[in-house]
Amino acid sequence: MLFWLAPPILWFTVFMLVPYAMLFYYSLGSVNYVTFEPGFSAANFIKVFTTQPYLGVMLKSAKLGLMTAIFTSILAYPVAFCLAFYAPAGRAKNFLYMLVIVPWWASYLVKAYAWKTILGSHGLINQLLLNTGIISHPLTFLLYNEFSVALTLTYIFTPFAILSIYSQLERIPVSLIEGARDLGATGWQIFYKIVFPISVPGILAGAVITFSLAFGDFISPALVGGPNSIMISNIVINLLGRAFDWPLAAAIGLVIIGMATALITVANHIERRLTVRL
Amino acid sequence: MSSGIELRDVVKSFGQGGDAVAAVNSVNLDVEHGQFLTLLGASGCGKTTTLRLIAGFESPTSGEIRFQGRNVTDVPVTHRDMRMVFQDYALFPNMNVFDNVAFGLRVSRARRRYSSTEVSRRVREYLDLVQLSEQPTRMPHQLSGGQRQRVALARALITDPSVVLFDEPLGSLDAKLRKAMQVELKRIHKELGKTFIYVTHDQEEALGMSDRIAVMNAGRVRQYGSPEEVYREPNCRFVASFIGAANVLEAKVESGNGNEAQIRLKNDWVGKVPATTPVRSGENVGLMIRAETARLRRENSASGADGVITVRATVAERLFLGDRIEYHVELTGQGGDLRIHIPATEAEEFDVGDSVDVDIRPEDTRILAD
Repeated sequence: MLFWLAPPILWFTVFMLVPYAMLFYYSLGSVNYVTFEPGFSAANFIKVFTTQPYLGVMLKSAKLGLMTAIFTSILAYPVAFCLAFYAPAGRAKNFLYMLVIVPWWASYLVKAYAWKTILGSHGLINQLLLNTGIISHPLTFLLYNEFSVALTLTYIFTPFAILSIYSQLERIPVSLIEGARDLGATGWQIFYKIVFPISVPGILAGAVITFSLAFGDFISPALVGGPNSIMISNIVINLLGRAFDWPLAAAIGLVIIGMATALITVANHIERRLTVRL
Repeated sequence: MSSGIELRDVVKSFGQGGDAVAAVNSVNLDVEHGQFLTLLGASGCGKTTTLRLIAGFESPTSGEIRFQGRNVTDVPVTHRDMRMVFQDYALFPNMNVFDNVAFGLRVSRARRRYSSTEVSRRVREYLDLVQLSEQPTRMPHQLSGGQRQRVALARALITDPSVVLFDEPLGSLDAKLRKAMQVELKRIHKELGKTFIYVTHDQEEALGMSDRIAVMNAGRVRQYGSPEEVYREPNCRFVASFIGAANVLEAKVESGNGNEAQIRLKNDWVGKVPATTPVRSGENVGLMIRAETARLRRENSASGADGVITVRATVAERLFLGDRIEYHVELTGQGGDLRIHIPATEAEEFDVGDSVDVDIRPEDTRILAD
């Protein structure tokens, strides 16, 4: 037993516990010019919560994460629903399933960059609108703002939500739906009285995943975001790479981890309460 | 007959083209209103598909289903005055017992609007009917199999359908509970006077509860009759062997008139048996003997009355079943074996290896042509 547990324990220690401990160690210290000085002070944490732009950007990142979670859920639900109930078992279903997964074969960077070529002033949408004469100047509100960041994040993370909701819908036995139909329920009633309540934990689980991924993202804001849509991870990168303020970066990192842990704990608790035992 | 259910040449094929398999093949049934009909057969015989066709969950490839005198072949599930009790109960897991039972009254296609006091009153009434003593606030996963079964039944009955369909509802219950539920179902059937159509592979269940049994095999109804008929007068080898412990001896018809047939068994016993089915001379037929009608005695001991069929055999197996003893005897000088049930109260017992004579009264046999 211990033999099999040794590799994961080792992995967890080397790549999780030790880095977290180091993060904590750094966060308590300070920087003198470019030299790290160990210490035991909460100054960095106080700074995170009292100095702009840190807290503001963190809240904005949370807002973008929340938007992404909501958009992906709305987009994912119908797809998961079709996959679970309308796709005939066999080839058609496998094909649909493939379509959901295929985007993962492409690199994240490529996908984020693709949106730049779609939304940009020389991008697909603007060219199309210009050529058809609907507009005379390129639309600039499409790219380099919060909207384009949320759109890109939603596009990239939707498959997570689809699979999460699908796994929940798939558990619903056909006999439940037939039973409800047999008792005289309409399609809509079957959906909101039976199917939807059972699928809520799946939506929630998907939303937690997409929120967490979007919240900590730094590529989309860098590629398609504007000056006002930088996210907290971009700030961490700048603190590390440009400002050499590792202690502050570590403090922000720990705050983010703390927030994420709190969120997941609460979500898990709600999920468990809402999970329907079949 | 017009108030009942009629199936006319109903065929249901699954798959397409050359791969199509007829799960239900030319089924004809007449179910009178208020009857307890059981569709009996092994798994894959088409009984569940037949039930789903009647319910409207499947539509037939060809043929016609009539209900209360009108053609309902293409009428959707919700518009047939029938309710189904599913094999897995299909209780809504996100609702408690009360809401499950009340479901049919609250959905929009309920026959009329019920006030909430009326809903509670009816739910209580039907929970009483199925004798569910648990709190109606319990969730389905907190109930035992038997309790879930009762909830499913109450949920189906509360909308007062004229037909209730059961898809092997007792399959997942243990033997004792199954017996109790059988008695329960029969009581409820009598009390409500609705048509019950019940699918099972359990012949005891079928014999005990039904007014009519349709024995199915390979998508066809092989025999349709009262439990007594299908047990005592099976019309083919399949029905004879599927229901009860039946033995079939190979025989050749030597001559026959309308009432009697002279047959020869493989051990050269020649005698007359009732011609329960029209026979032709020279025809090979099966002679059915129910396990409980044969008698065993020691080899060469005094025989019974004249005309009794006697075959010699060796006891190969002895199973004590409590109320009776089951002997498996191997026929001497011909292939095959017989299963024979002797009441455990009988004094004479036999051991494995004993040579015995098996006596069968001709009137206890039936000729099976098919």
